[in-house]
Amino acid sequence: MGRVPIVRIAGTLVATVLEDLHDRDALELEAELFTQLERTDSDGVILDLSVVEIVDSFLGRMLNDIASGVRLMGAQMVVVGIQPAVAITLVELGLELKGVRTAVSPDRGRLLLRKLVADEKRGHRRAGR
Amino acid sequence: MSDRQQMNDLIDQQRQTISELQTPVIQVWEGILALPIVGSLDTARTAEMNETLLQRIVDTGSEIVILDITAVPVVDTAVAKHLLETISAARLLGAEVYLVGLSTRTAITLVHLGVDLSGVVTRTSMAKGLEMAFARLGLEVISRRGNRRFSADTASEEDAY
Repeated sequence: MGRVPIVRIAGTLVATVLEDLHDRDALELEAELFTQLERTDSDGVILDLSVVEIVDSFLGRMLNDIASGVRLMGAQMVVVGIQPAVAITLVELGLELKGVRTAVSPDRGRLLLRKLVADEKRGHRRAGR
Repeated sequence: MSDRQQMNDLIDQQRQTISELQTPVIQVWEGILALPIVGSLDTARTAEMNETLLQRIVDTGSEIVILDITAVPVVDTAVAKHLLETISAARLLGAEVYLVGLSTRTAITLVHLGVDLSGVVTRTSMAKGLEMAFARLGLEVISRRGNRRFSADTASEEDAY
């Protein structure tokens, strides 16, 4: 079973996938992430896919869904560590994941996430005026 | 050896040469990769190019890729589709891709063919792409003569000194 541990570091949920994700694992990850977002005061999610070597259209769609869901719950998500073969497969499947933000490494992901969260907050403040 | 055999050998040899003339991936700066594409792009070549490029992005942790299509003679729907595949795949790894070297003719062709490049950052020259990449990484090039900022537009006149 590919359970995905989720840890919370300074307001960011970090989910590290440890082995290839099956359909059910992905659905569980989605539910678990949303639960954590609801329960804790987190404004960002980093999803590390660096060990994932196999993706199908279901998982591709799940990534899009998870990103949309995270946004619905008022947080931002950055996917990090997508492998070249995975990227090629996703593009060949026609899943360009336009709604998913990505970064080369977890560190870059963290920087991008902080920027996205800051932009989001600034946007709200402007909208509130 | 028959003429036919000789001909086949020649074709094989040339195919080999062509495949060796692959697209090099150049690291122009820390975090910036450049890919000058020479000649036309077909499916096989794009696949090979994608593989090399994506692996280099991961190896170097680069955030920006500049695809230079100055030397691509004709950018039609098929070539544009291949370029978009490369751009999407690189984006999935977390790299931003700038498409540079668009000529007037290429622009006209793309517009007339109705190819949608709206989600892609495009520029006319490698210099402009590099300038943008530097800006994105928070770097700037400053001239030693005076404190003047050095941009792609001033590059050519500065060269005249």
